[in-house]
Amino acid sequence: MRRPPAAATRGHIRIEDVVKIYDPAGAAVLAVDHCTLEIEPGEICMIVGPSGCGKTTLLNAIAGFHEITSGRIVMDGEVLCSTEQPQSTPGPDRIVVFQNGALFPWKSNLENVIFGPVMQGKLARKEAVDKGRAMMSDAGLSGVEHNYPGEVSSGMRRRVEIVRALMNDPKVLLLDEPYRALDSLTKSVMHEALLEIYYKNKVTIFFITHDLEEAIFLGHRVAIMTTRPCKPKKVLNVDIPHPRDYGVLTSKRFRELIEETNDAVHEEALKAFQAGEKEG
Amino acid sequence: MEAALRAGAADDAIAVLRDSTPFGDASDALLARIAALARPARYDAGERIYSADDLADDLFVVVSGRVEHVFKPEVHAREAQKRVTRGGVFGWAGLLLGQTRRLATVSATEPTEVLRIETEALVKLLESEPLEGPRVMERFATMIQRDFAVPQSLLAQVRRLSGPLTEEMSSLSLTMYRVSLWLRSPRPYLMLIGFALFLGFWYLAVEVWKLPRFREMPGITAVVKEWFAKSPTYGLSLYTEEYYKHIIVSIWRVTQAFFLATILGVTFGLLLGWSRTFKEYVFPVFEMLRPIPILAWVPLAIVMFIATESAVVYLAFLASFFATALNTMLGVESIDESYIRAADCLGANQWQQFRHVILPGALPFIFTGLQISIGVSWFSLVAAEMVSGQYGLGYVINTSYVMVRYPTIVIGMVTLGMVGYATSALVRLAGDYLMEWRVRELALAER
Repeated sequence: MRRPPAAATRGHIRIEDVVKIYDPAGAAVLAVDHCTLEIEPGEICMIVGPSGCGKTTLLNAIAGFHEITSGRIVMDGEVLCSTEQPQSTPGPDRIVVFQNGALFPWKSNLENVIFGPVMQGKLARKEAVDKGRAMMSDAGLSGVEHNYPGEVSSGMRRRVEIVRALMNDPKVLLLDEPYRALDSLTKSVMHEALLEIYYKNKVTIFFITHDLEEAIFLGHRVAIMTTRPCKPKKVLNVDIPHPRDYGVLTSKRFRELIEETNDAVHEEALKAFQAGEKEG
Repeated sequence: MEAALRAGAADDAIAVLRDSTPFGDASDALLARIAALARPARYDAGERIYSADDLADDLFVVVSGRVEHVFKPEVHAREAQKRVTRGGVFGWAGLLLGQTRRLATVSATEPTEVLRIETEALVKLLESEPLEGPRVMERFATMIQRDFAVPQSLLAQVRRLSGPLTEEMSSLSLTMYRVSLWLRSPRPYLMLIGFALFLGFWYLAVEVWKLPRFREMPGITAVVKEWFAKSPTYGLSLYTEEYYKHIIVSIWRVTQAFFLATILGVTFGLLLGWSRTFKEYVFPVFEMLRPIPILAWVPLAIVMFIATESAVVYLAFLASFFATALNTMLGVESIDESYIRAADCLGANQWQQFRHVILPGALPFIFTGLQISIGVSWFSLVAAEMVSGQYGLGYVINTSYVMVRYPTIVIGMVTLGMVGYATSALVRLAGDYLMEWRVRELALAER
């Protein structure tokens, strides 16, 4: 049972037969192996795999930070990258929220939030400030507009970063283990906050994590990836209806889904461990 | 009885506030102002003071008696129930960002007297106290964490005052705030002790113990006498015009060298860090020239520049330039790749990335470079002045040596030390002014 929100019509991503071979020292390493995956408009698609399995490579290809070796990635009918044109250009329709956070520490939270539209010349500064304030207050961030990112909690920083992304009205948000560095209490608050923001904005979310519970709690679908080379091993449809809240974590269905997938994840983690864990 | 209570009420209020964690170390003046905001209230045993989700418009300090404080489950406090007695503070939800409702239900378990303080009035009062306000707020955060065991996420919401750590405060008052903090810490006094020990050793080693090697040195009394003499034996003291002329000439040379080195060095360093090709051409040559001591440049500098003045400035410039350029390059290279990628994603073009990411990102390193640069600029200036030149502190030291005026050598050295210290303090101030974000981050980390 697929449950992509009916309202969303953009942010449809097709990853078709993508291969990525790293060739740093003449020794070719196959990072992504004929990976095919389709992400529906407005869907939260969770990509689960152990560290270093190559899932970030996939994200970098969509964002335009890295080339692919062959295959094709298409977004809303437009070819982002392909065998012929291996690297897409980064742009405000696909915004990445980075693992360690990439708010500019030298700009206030509000300046960070309005950075995109102002740089692109899409909004005049004053309009951007108004929109930024409104979106920040929507995300529970009133009062910290003029603080620097270094002055607020890490949970708030992540929220500011997501708001900064949403200011550009992107087709897809690419989240690269954004909550990895947070403690578990903050993390639980952040999950609900992300869902709350998502219910208001209905943007496609491509979310990388190694945390299975996080994946099932947030996602419409969870793709469990094999480890190096990376491709979907099992795709799980999470049939717990949205909107969700923390009650879901203790529900029977949630536990069942965890049980159903735990083995697959564990098997890959073991493989990654034996291969020697490397970041990638 | 009632009347007596009222007469001493203000003093009682201050005494209770002093017993509480957040106000415990506030000054008497501040306590009196807070006490003026407080309204006494009395509750019977079993009476409810407020319920969860009521409007959180004031906070409470217990004067006597006891209350039971029960968090609502959504708070996820480690212990939902808590007893609060004299000096305890509750009802602080209004101090959290975006929180206007009570997080707990509180009832008196025995006859209880409390002080009620309106939250907004308190915050306004604390905001008007740039020195003490933020500390009280910090102590609130500490108390909430220690006494109430609530999750981190909630703690993170404790309001930061628009005191010294926010936008309303100019950089100047921020600096003043730091100075006043410094004066209240033991550091300045330790510094004075350090100086006293140093000078005492100088005095004893040269004039009292007459230690070998020290015996020949000018003693502190001779130097001080000469320095403060209206008509100095060797012609140089605080009262001679000549003394200031030397200082001004040296400062002027360093200023020219330093500014030239900063403009060229920062530009050059940014290019080195920004363009790989440029770096490949230039960096090896740069690295080969950099270790050559400034003194080795003296002959060439004199040949290159006919005028000694420009030769001296050139030498001071050279050392500064290398320090600034190298640090700027390292600064650009130190910028986290994610910042550049984020700017890419957000649609910034090359120039915007340079202006909004590369330059501010490299600034901390650039200023480290400038600190070093101003130091080596003085260093090489004096070397150059000792070799050639007509005025300047290096010239004073060198000629005094030739003419056996030992106290004047020391006067020159001490003056150099002080002027050098002052210029590098100026550079640091400029850095703090341009990088307020960093000053605030460091202030929060209590460094």
